[in-house]
Amino acid sequence: MTEIILQTTLNAVYAASYMSLIAVGLVLIFGVMGVINFAHGELYMAGAYTVVALYSHLNFPFLIAVAAGLAFVGLLGILMEYSLFRPLRDNPLGGLIASIGFLLMLQTAAVLGFGVRMAHIKPPIQGKIELLGAVLTYQRFLVIAAAILLLTGLYLFLRKTKIGWAMRACAQDREAAALQGISLNQITRIAMFIGASLAGVAGALTAPLVSPTPYMGHSVIVTAFIIIIVGGIGHLEGAVVAAVLYAFVHTFVTTFYDGVVADIVGLVLMLLVLVIKPTGLFGARERA
Amino acid sequence: MREDISKISKWGLGLVFLAALLVLPQVLSYSQREIAVLLVINVLLVASYRLMTLTGEWSLGHVVIMGVGAYASALFAKRLGVPVPVSMFLGASTAGLAAAVLSFPLFRMKGFYFLIGSFAAGEVIRLVWKYFSTPFGGPKGIKLIPGFPDIGPISMFEPENYYYLCLAVVSLSLFILYRIEQSRIGLTFHAIHWQDKLAESVGVGTFRYRMLAFVLASFFAGLSGALYAHYIGTINPTRFDVEEMVFVLIWAIVGGTNTFFGPIIGVVALTIINEIILRSLGFDSARPMIYGALLILSVLFLPKGLEGVVQKAGRIFKARKAPEPTVRREQNA
Amino acid sequence: MRLTSTPRRISRRELLLTSSAAVTMLATTGAPKFAFGADKTVKIGFLAPLTGAVAAWGKPGLDGCQIWSDRVNNAGGIEIGGDRYKVEFIAYDNEYDPGKARTGAAKLIKEDGVKFIMMLGGDTWPGVQPMAEREGMLVSTLLPSDLTPDTKTLIAPCEVHPIYNVTGVQWLAENKPDMKTAVICAQDDALGKPSVATYLAAFEAAGIDVIDEPLFFDPATTDFAPVMTRLLSGKPDILCLDTCYADYVHPLCEQAFQQGFQGTIISCTADFYPKIIEKTSKEFMEGFVFQFPDFDDPALNDANVNFSKPNEFFQEYANRFGESEWSAVSWEYASIMDLWADAASKAGSIEPGDVLAAMKSSGKGKHAFGDADWWGEELFGIDNALVGNWPVVVIENGKAVIKEYKSIPDWWNQHSDLVIKHFRALGQMWDQRG
Repeated sequence: MTEIILQTTLNAVYAASYMSLIAVGLVLIFGVMGVINFAHGELYMAGAYTVVALYSHLNFPFLIAVAAGLAFVGLLGILMEYSLFRPLRDNPLGGLIASIGFLLMLQTAAVLGFGVRMAHIKPPIQGKIELLGAVLTYQRFLVIAAAILLLTGLYLFLRKTKIGWAMRACAQDREAAALQGISLNQITRIAMFIGASLAGVAGALTAPLVSPTPYMGHSVIVTAFIIIIVGGIGHLEGAVVAAVLYAFVHTFVTTFYDGVVADIVGLVLMLLVLVIKPTGLFGARERA
Repeated sequence: MREDISKISKWGLGLVFLAALLVLPQVLSYSQREIAVLLVINVLLVASYRLMTLTGEWSLGHVVIMGVGAYASALFAKRLGVPVPVSMFLGASTAGLAAAVLSFPLFRMKGFYFLIGSFAAGEVIRLVWKYFSTPFGGPKGIKLIPGFPDIGPISMFEPENYYYLCLAVVSLSLFILYRIEQSRIGLTFHAIHWQDKLAESVGVGTFRYRMLAFVLASFFAGLSGALYAHYIGTINPTRFDVEEMVFVLIWAIVGGTNTFFGPIIGVVALTIINEIILRSLGFDSARPMIYGALLILSVLFLPKGLEGVVQKAGRIFKARKAPEPTVRREQNA
Repeated sequence: MRLTSTPRRISRRELLLTSSAAVTMLATTGAPKFAFGADKTVKIGFLAPLTGAVAAWGKPGLDGCQIWSDRVNNAGGIEIGGDRYKVEFIAYDNEYDPGKARTGAAKLIKEDGVKFIMMLGGDTWPGVQPMAEREGMLVSTLLPSDLTPDTKTLIAPCEVHPIYNVTGVQWLAENKPDMKTAVICAQDDALGKPSVATYLAAFEAAGIDVIDEPLFFDPATTDFAPVMTRLLSGKPDILCLDTCYADYVHPLCEQAFQQGFQGTIISCTADFYPKIIEKTSKEFMEGFVFQFPDFDDPALNDANVNFSKPNEFFQEYANRFGESEWSAVSWEYASIMDLWADAASKAGSIEPGDVLAAMKSSGKGKHAFGDADWWGEELFGIDNALVGNWPVVVIENGKAVIKEYKSIPDWWNQHSDLVIKHFRALGQMWDQRG
């Protein structure tokens, strides 16, 4: 029994890691730009397919492919910011719709480039850590380590650097930030790069563990929404805590009951938060 | 005097339009008539969605509410043997009732929270359909839903005839929706959208009006679901998922939501592009990409949606006929 | 030519509008019969998802059909009633939506004048059913759970999912009698549930103990570690992956490998299994039992097998689309065309009603894996599923090998009550479905 609990805990930590990378990116984009990026799941997918292309097809080393995935998806983010969200800055709903258009284009691009079937990635790292009968593969460990590293880096960046400070200012009040002489364009561009590349790196790192398909973004975006609601929209630390909470609840319920029951529990959790405290467990004030 | 002329020309235009709608099936091929039936049903769906958005709330659960109407109507007809025209009305009412119940948790939220809250509520309803096989049929849904009864020799299975039925039902519904929007209630919806605190301070119970808009919109969405269910003969939880909702959003926004006719223009134009033009060009795998690109382009370059283009064209046309400045209609944007 | 089963008034306008159908109508009835030479074309509808998340169940099948029609047409077509017919496939993407499937069926039947429609089935079939019934159109499905007593013109002539899964369990019990306990998992959908019922029946018949409730997971699941932890917690000998899709089978196997599973895996499919071996190990995958052979398997040249030149078909598919693209769906629609062509030749007609009658006339049909019986009354309420032998495939030394063809009817005659019991318990009998 302890073995199962330990294994389930490790499973949950892994799930929390990649989900928080995705959710934090989504929250960052919403916080700074006030737009819901519906294409966020497809950015995750794009990261996975970067690994398919570079590592599986062109035989680059895995970590190079992951770095390329981070950069490429970050650039996709800048492209979205420049061509969609900036012109639609005063029209958040338009931004949402444009991101849906972008989602369809990314999905189709993956279908045309790689086919509708799942892509295959040979495992880059074999081997595993065994701990009191529970198992953590190096591949999963890498995801956990990378998530901790990247999120800590982001935290320091937001707290300690001038740009990070400006970004937080934008997230609180864009007009006031602009009045203080902060360049909105520059800040939103950086935020979009970071937000997108976090989704991209999550996709790239987990690509060998899932089976990438052009439609894989769909399954993560719903979970990501649940997480950012529970954590409080626009609240970065909240997103991380909510990702951990959700991952643990979902993983334990899956293991001890059923995967389907776990989904219901997740949704009910979100509804409860919405009804009792719509600003999320950590959100301070209401954004209308 | 000029008022009268413009009124007459408006009615004239309306009559021409109505005549065109009546002749339409005669110039379409059989499968295009099938598309026309689905299109008319979607017109009601998207027009009811607009009523909801008048109060400023964007729901992601509207298609699920359509599904509530479809499921309820199908079950009333199939399990309880209620005649289909009655069950359609009952289905629509059930959708309205569901909205009334959902109002209590959902209208604690506003804006983005409402958007996500409505999504979550919709997902819970879909899960209920999926996991309670009796009576909802589980993931496979309900099959062999009784069709609309034939009227004498007129078979309601034929898309041409069902098109006329839907046209009648939808026209009446649109008329009611239009009158609601023009009435005091409609004005109050607008007021809540733009100045909810102010509206409240002069004694308007915003919750009551939000709920009213939601219930009315849901009734007509449910009606569109019932029209769908008894025509296609089968419904399942996937048919009403968030992907379908995305299409409704797209139709509304590409069409433009400032006027009553914007979303309708949107659904008509996009359906023709997607189902007829792109299909006939044979881009099977690339179709979603073209659709996505069109979506982005229209959001970027037609900020008021297609209705803005129509209005502009109308203004140019009018300006040519009558050079004196026309009175600018106050827009809600 | 009979377009409708009931007399219908065709106005001039409609005749003009459905001109393409009208032209073929004139061509088949009015024109004098030419002696030989493939001067006629029969159109076959392909109504399956070609875009969207379910496209993997349609698109590869259409690719396989193109190979099939090229082969047939290059050989001069099919001889039917003294004429030679070329075959042309007309595809309509139904996006796995019942409404669009209905529109597609209307176009294929009324405007393109197809004589037979192949579908994936599932959610989309009930949308097509009324139209197919009225028009008397012959339709095939890959999912026999679409069959009910009312579906007179719907056939499941290739894959009678999930009933053939019993052969794998039977083989396993015979060849590895020390395997005594099993666990089972499946995605929670229309494919997973009847399959679970079948496996439960097969395990019961084989005296294998299923030690835990079947675990259902949501089709949107991406991380399978928790699922596997749960499955392995009872230390089973057999891990049954049911009819999981390839995107689940791969991560499930990988997790089973990582979490130290030592027993035998049985599954309905193992598409792209070389990639699973890459992710796990040759030793781990040794003895993996499933139901879908590679078509370069020499055992497919067995005299009983009706699929024509399977090894060449596989080679051609690999040449055109790449070997790694091969999956079960690649050959299934093409094998249905073999059956259709055979029946049309026998009937001497391409008309749906005649072809269906010829197919079922002797109660037997030419199934891909050998002559088979029209069956299904007890499970689906209608004998429109073609059931005979099915291969048991086992991975040996990194390669899928057909170990044995096993008879489904033989098994059924002994254990039908078990299947019906489990189908009923999971609500999968035809009279329990919607």
